[in-house]
Amino acid sequence: MEQKNGRADETQVEFLVDRVKQGDREAFMKLVACYQQKVFILAYSLVRNREDALDLVQEVFLRLYEKIHSYRAGENFQAWLMQIARNLSLDFLRRMKSRKKESLDSLDLDRADLAAAEADPSCFQSAEIIQKAVRALPEKQRLVFILHHFDDLKYGEIAGRLGIAEGTVKSLHFKAIQNLRKILTPQLGGGR
Amino acid sequence: MKKCKQYKKDWPAFLSRQLNPKIMEVMSRHLQDCPACQDEVEQQRRLLTLADNFKKELQQVMATVDWEALPAVIASRLPEKEERQATATAGGGWRLWKWQPLAAGLFLGLLLGGALTFLVFKSREPGRLTARQETGIAMPAELVDRVDLVLARKETIDYLERSQYLLLDILQTGSAPASSLLQQERIRQLLTDKKYLNNQLDDLRLMKARAICDQIELLFLELSQLSPELSAAELERVRKMIEDKQLLLKINLVKKELQQSEV
Repeated sequence: MEQKNGRADETQVEFLVDRVKQGDREAFMKLVACYQQKVFILAYSLVRNREDALDLVQEVFLRLYEKIHSYRAGENFQAWLMQIARNLSLDFLRRMKSRKKESLDSLDLDRADLAAAEADPSCFQSAEIIQKAVRALPEKQRLVFILHHFDDLKYGEIAGRLGIAEGTVKSLHFKAIQNLRKILTPQLGGGR
Repeated sequence: MKKCKQYKKDWPAFLSRQLNPKIMEVMSRHLQDCPACQDEVEQQRRLLTLADNFKKELQQVMATVDWEALPAVIASRLPEKEERQATATAGGGWRLWKWQPLAAGLFLGLLLGGALTFLVFKSREPGRLTARQETGIAMPAELVDRVDLVLARKETIDYLERSQYLLLDILQTGSAPASSLLQQERIRQLLTDKKYLNNQLDDLRLMKARAICDQIELLFLELSQLSPELSAAELERVRKMIEDKQLLLKINLVKKELQQSEV
């Protein structure tokens, strides 16, 4: 049932979801196996911490189990699951942010990092900078960018996963690139 | 020049090889002869190289996770109570109805009796009372509901007004350093207030207000991630966001609606 890249066709997913609704633990595990990496990529791209992302993966699937009865056959399961993953990741970021705010020392952390990177572009951690810049994107652009560049999905696949038109994906991708270029002008150098 | 404008939106798709091969070929030819587009594509390529670095990191991290064991770990955290409930409804429940018609009849009788009693005495009942947890005083449920709704409306209007003033301040004062720290403090306060407001906004009658409050919250979250002293580019981005989403207009409309329904 599970393929190497974790993909399963719609009928198989519907079957698994039915079984999970009836409390089948094995089916639940198969469903997790199918989608765990996709959820991890989304979570890690947003929180950029292995342990936090793994915790989020667990939370997402436990929430899925809790809410599985509200999923209706025929709906886009991946889009539904990704919605849960996105909401929980954003909640996590909000909690982290408010915890950060409690400590005065950490108030200017992001600003200091970016300033240091600007001062000496050769030493900045490019992965860190791009991740921060991606986090600053509007939600839909961020999702499209993550799914396209980090999860290697094509426009059509992203459209299917998010439940939007392919043209919209293309346009969101273009806007994401433009915004990232604005944010990362000092690091990219030369821009207009 | 016309072609440059036409292709501008397609370069990201071109670099990701997401376009039709014929279009790719035409664009490649144009790229060879056009320095402006070469510059544009080079910039985007550099950006995607940065993204590739993050992807490499992601792949390294993913390689350290035991994916085969993870489903079992997650399954072990499933609530056992719910599982038992699900099994009971899947098999045992039906068997009970099939083999114990007497119990089923009794249960049905009780259900019908209860329903009839409720219908007969319903008209004589003076109104359901609800005890407030905080005070222990019992009040009619309808009244409690109305009071809660009025309070929720007032708090939402207050939240919207403060958000509106803050947005106007940001747009007017921009990057003035004296006001920026104060603004950050106000943003933080509003984000905290929104957390408390969320419960009250769950009411279906406040759906519209919830939508706008959520948008404001997202904007404030973005602002809280920026430095207190906004640069000109950041300020322009915020301004564009407010204008694109027509936040100030929406706030006014929702406020007016809430105030009218209060009367």
